[in-house]
Amino acid sequence: MFRSVKWVIVGLAVGMLTALDAGAAIGFQPVSPEELKMTREPQAPGAAAIILYRQVDRDDNGHTSHEDNYRRIKILTEEGRKYANVEIAFVKKSQDVVSIRARTIRPDGSIADYGGQVFEKELVKARGVKILAKTFTLPDVQVGSILEYSYTMDLGEHLLFESHWILSDELFTKKAQFSLKPYRGSSAVPLSLHWSWQDLPPGPEPKEGPDHIIRMEANDIPAFQIEDYMPPPNELKSRVDFIYDAISGKDENAYWKQVGLQWNGYLENFVGKKKEMEQAVAQIVAPNDSPEVKLRKIYDRVQQIRNTTYEVHKTEQEEKRDKEKPAENVEEVWKRGYGDRTQLNWLFLGLVRAAGFEAYGCWVSDRKDYFFKPVTMQRSKLDVNVVLVKADGKDLYLAPGVAFTPFGLLTWSETAVTGLRLDKDGGTWIRTTLPHASESRIERVAKMRLSETGDLEGKLTITYVGLQAMYHRMEERHADDLARKKSLEKRATDQIAVAAEAELTNRPDWTSSETPLVAEFSLKIPNWSSNAGKHVVIPAAIFTAGEKELFEHANRVHPVYFDYPYEKADDVTVELPTGWQVSSMPKALDQNGKVITYDLSFEQGPGMVRQMRKLTYDVLLVDQKYYGALRDFFQAVRTGDGQQIVLQPGTDHAGN
Amino acid sequence: MGNKLCCSQGPTMRATNRRAQLGWFWTAVWVLTVVRGAAAGDAPQWMHALTGVTLPSYSEKTEAVLLYSETNVTVLSADKIKIQSREAYKILRPEGRGRGTVKLYFNQTRKIKDLHGWCIPAQGKDYEVKDKDAMDVTAPIQGGYLVLDAKYRVLNIPAPDVGNIVGYEYEIEEQPFWLQDDWRFQETDPVRESHFTLQLPQGWVYKASWLAHDEIKPEQAGGNVLRWTVTDVKGISHEPDMPPVSGLAGQMIVSFFPAGGTSSKNEFVDWKGLGDWYGDLIRGQMDASEAIKQEVNGLTAGKAGQLQKIQAIAGFVQHDIRYVAIELGIGGWQPHAAPEVLAHKYGDCKDKATLLRTMLREIGVDSYQVLINTQRGAIARDTPAHNAFNHAILAIKLPDEVKDKSLIAVMKDPKLGRILFFDPTNDVTPFGQIGGYLQANYGLLVAPDGGDLVELPQQPSAMNSIQRTGKLTLDASGKLTGDVEEFRVGDRARSERSRLRATTASVDRIKPIENLLAGSLSNFQIVKASVVNFDLTDQPFGFQYSFQSENYARPAGNLLLVRPRVLGTKALAILETKDPRKYPFEFEGPYRDTDSFYITLPVGYEVDELPPPTDVEYSFGTYHSRTEASGQVLHYTRSMEIKELSVPVSQMDDLKKFYRIIASDERNTAILKSVGTGK
Repeated sequence: MFRSVKWVIVGLAVGMLTALDAGAAIGFQPVSPEELKMTREPQAPGAAAIILYRQVDRDDNGHTSHEDNYRRIKILTEEGRKYANVEIAFVKKSQDVVSIRARTIRPDGSIADYGGQVFEKELVKARGVKILAKTFTLPDVQVGSILEYSYTMDLGEHLLFESHWILSDELFTKKAQFSLKPYRGSSAVPLSLHWSWQDLPPGPEPKEGPDHIIRMEANDIPAFQIEDYMPPPNELKSRVDFIYDAISGKDENAYWKQVGLQWNGYLENFVGKKKEMEQAVAQIVAPNDSPEVKLRKIYDRVQQIRNTTYEVHKTEQEEKRDKEKPAENVEEVWKRGYGDRTQLNWLFLGLVRAAGFEAYGCWVSDRKDYFFKPVTMQRSKLDVNVVLVKADGKDLYLAPGVAFTPFGLLTWSETAVTGLRLDKDGGTWIRTTLPHASESRIERVAKMRLSETGDLEGKLTITYVGLQAMYHRMEERHADDLARKKSLEKRATDQIAVAAEAELTNRPDWTSSETPLVAEFSLKIPNWSSNAGKHVVIPAAIFTAGEKELFEHANRVHPVYFDYPYEKADDVTVELPTGWQVSSMPKALDQNGKVITYDLSFEQGPGMVRQMRKLTYDVLLVDQKYYGALRDFFQAVRTGDGQQIVLQPGTDHAGN
Repeated sequence: MGNKLCCSQGPTMRATNRRAQLGWFWTAVWVLTVVRGAAAGDAPQWMHALTGVTLPSYSEKTEAVLLYSETNVTVLSADKIKIQSREAYKILRPEGRGRGTVKLYFNQTRKIKDLHGWCIPAQGKDYEVKDKDAMDVTAPIQGGYLVLDAKYRVLNIPAPDVGNIVGYEYEIEEQPFWLQDDWRFQETDPVRESHFTLQLPQGWVYKASWLAHDEIKPEQAGGNVLRWTVTDVKGISHEPDMPPVSGLAGQMIVSFFPAGGTSSKNEFVDWKGLGDWYGDLIRGQMDASEAIKQEVNGLTAGKAGQLQKIQAIAGFVQHDIRYVAIELGIGGWQPHAAPEVLAHKYGDCKDKATLLRTMLREIGVDSYQVLINTQRGAIARDTPAHNAFNHAILAIKLPDEVKDKSLIAVMKDPKLGRILFFDPTNDVTPFGQIGGYLQANYGLLVAPDGGDLVELPQQPSAMNSIQRTGKLTLDASGKLTGDVEEFRVGDRARSERSRLRATTASVDRIKPIENLLAGSLSNFQIVKASVVNFDLTDQPFGFQYSFQSENYARPAGNLLLVRPRVLGTKALAILETKDPRKYPFEFEGPYRDTDSFYITLPVGYEVDELPPPTDVEYSFGTYHSRTEASGQVLHYTRSMEIKELSVPVSQMDDLKKFYRIIASDERNTAILKSVGTGK
């Protein structure tokens, strides 16, 4: 509803092009003897292939818009031969791929021109939509060959597509050249082009020439790698983004002021139902309620309203039958008793304002896919709404429209992000809060008994708090009890490094946002103890699998990214078989990595041992230069976890 | 009708089978199609008749039940078949919502003429969706699959919610490549009632064969119409490492043809007939061109013996012909002509096999295509003859003088003599051997006088092995340092070579070693590492590395606890489930691994106690370990051998016990005591 309005203001069909390779009027380039002889690229050791040269030339004239693409690839290993298979996807009617030319240059310099068939595949065909692909493969490709191909992507008349020069490729690029001849606009459809870039390799930045063509040349662009715990790839790739916008000018502040004013107008139009909201608030709060109680009551009430965002996707036919139309304002949302997440957040804004709070609507940027920077002047990246409430001298960021979000928290991807707080002056930049690790916890309390044969059995209680509880509730919201049970049991045993059986014994509360999610299990770990001659040993900790192989590789390219701060706290009591004694307890450990900490301690009592383990992740991003320290930290964690408690069995113990 | 020979799984599956591979792709398709709209209409009477049926009691895990299935196959002529089908599911759990997505396979010769879907909600009016609401999709390039004409029509039926009934009807017209069909009446969901009707032209005959189900006689429904019915068929639940469902599920294979046979000879009732058909299909594709002759001459020049010549040609096809699958129409079965494959230097499995056969013939060596399913168990000795193959390899008739010991995958055929199986698509398995996926598997040997189902040889377990040796030193602080070398042969070498080949940077080549160490050591630093024989696929693949691990041995008073099994994990936890196992456990291939770790003990310590030896022997496998002390050296050895590729359910407790004993041995600890304080 409200969001769609923001897109329409562009006023011209602007689409997102997601072709596998984005446009050939570019002729084959001469190949040097050095390129023919090349067997390796020192800057990309071990690479299967590299891009020797890439060129992208785009002409957005609005009538015969097109993009010419050219690639020259050197094959360095057998694995690299796969780059001879080329597929170029396009959307029929608005795009076409023409003038495909290709050839293989053999290691001896002889040329095998492509004489094969270009296949046109129908990737997707549905009513009104056809996504096709031109596919071909080059002949006689051997290690040492150079592949060349070029093509032109024709773009539909009167259509304007955003441009993205994604420099980072899965292959190392020796040299690349890009150009864009932008749409010059017309008096009827005035459009302005904004462009921004990130992580470009050393060299000149994109620059507009006297001919108004923007050009850039880049050299030695590293291959893009995928790693565990990395920030969103969009954020790490070297790229230049070009956005057409109806708001003209290149001044960042002026741009956002105009955006803010527009959005605030839409917002106030949607929320501005003061009288109706006051009537609604009167049904929710009591006059004598404290401000905090009022706020919580309103929050809870909004969360009880049917939230269509988190329902099972419906077909158009089902939606039609339900006769559910987009609400025009908060009054409609309130009266109908349902809304999507955006509408419910705005309803909350209307209600808290009616209850006398100073509150603002904010558009913020979800950090699942990218980290927003205002300088890019891309308003579409402010894509989710939250409400800022001033209460008791504090700024509270709240979004009851996101299901299962506890009061005071935001879903993880909306924490610690930049956003625009809307007001009549155009808005102010804000940053949402990042909850402390202690607000999102996994607590495991186990009362276990070790048998003489080495099996460990007992009761385990896992309590998921804050964002940890929210995550589980969100994930399992469409599942039935059996699936939820299976999921919880699996999550419990997945944290144990050996085979274990868990049986859920309670009925966790899956509907609440505020209460922790508590799961109780009967747990059995066969063969938990192991033999050490006349002694028996048991591990110092049970729930260690999560860290067992974490950051095992010494080499790291990207920063390490955690979704949100959280804690794991374990308290395990093991009752020993009658007559057994503790011979040796492990050392307590207190590993303080500043932003990540690890505490392991033990207690010993008559016939029992107690193991306490706490791991706190109070960090989002760890720069690559600190990766070594991070890896060392987790090696120390594993060393602590790998300690053993030595037991002396009773005299009649036969071992397992 | 029909898988394809492109090393991929075939499209013959129930229309609502859940999205298999390409999870993201099908998800995207689903998202696109759920917004399609349609006019509402009432579900047909046959579906409404199902609303009141009484169902037996199913397991609480049952997601949906196939209430009714009916497939009518009308044979109009030898080159035209009409298939009409209707099916209806009742959704029992939210996880059963996927049954509301109909996915129908079609291609150039298999056209969907009509597709309708309905939902009868527990409350409210029926929903109806039609052809125009569906979406046609093709998978993008995957691996070497460049162009396949296989498409899917996807139709999302509204409201596939718990308690609702979803159903659909479709009609397909097919130009069959061969005159046979299969009725797969068993699937993951239980089936309440399923019918299969075959309508033949006058004078046609049929032969029905049954797989994993007792034979059922058909009803004669007038004219040349036959109708089979099954009721209350159990669902097949998934278990890890189970045999392929296609080999477990109840199904009927029905062949049909005019009484006198067809002129195109595309009917078959036995393996010989299928072999004849395939033999005819490939015959014209194996004419050697001048370029092939020149290539053969170049490859064999200077090679003295036939074996060396065969190896040179096989190596060329194995390595220099890039795997690319372009399969349109009959191209799913018929290879491209050998000269074409050579000219492009690419092709799929059957292209490679065909080119190799053509080239071998130029040096006077006969060979024969072998069709096989890469999932052992999909075809077994007693499987009725039908085309369920997805891969092509070659059987090379060994000249009498070739008696090299490196040729392992050899069998003696009563008619053809000694033949060597070779998979030219697998470019990291040495000539003379075959991968585990082919061993003890059944393939159709396409010989000159027809086909014959043969069992491929099972290689000795020692041909698939990891031999790891570590020479290590422990200091008094518990730090372990030393050198390890491990050599791998067979599939164990293949997997590492494939893994390393996929790395795109030199620094990533160490990752397999890091993974191995991380699985066994809480901390480690690799001091140096190297790979041995990476490209020499006829030699054992090796890793050599040196590492150090702090606190490997743990102090306990004046004792030091040491785990003699330093590296490698053989224990398997997947059998530790609450539910009893229903299906056999399948190993990919036989293997025999050994570990040997010498740990020099720190000065001032001596062995106090050692773990007991472990000796386990079952018919399917053995495990032996020993920890011994000799002077200041602790020596741990172990061997594990898997001899049988399938462990039946009756032995599942033994298998579970086998792995528990291994897990226990892997965690056993030796105790060192400080000399002087401990005495």
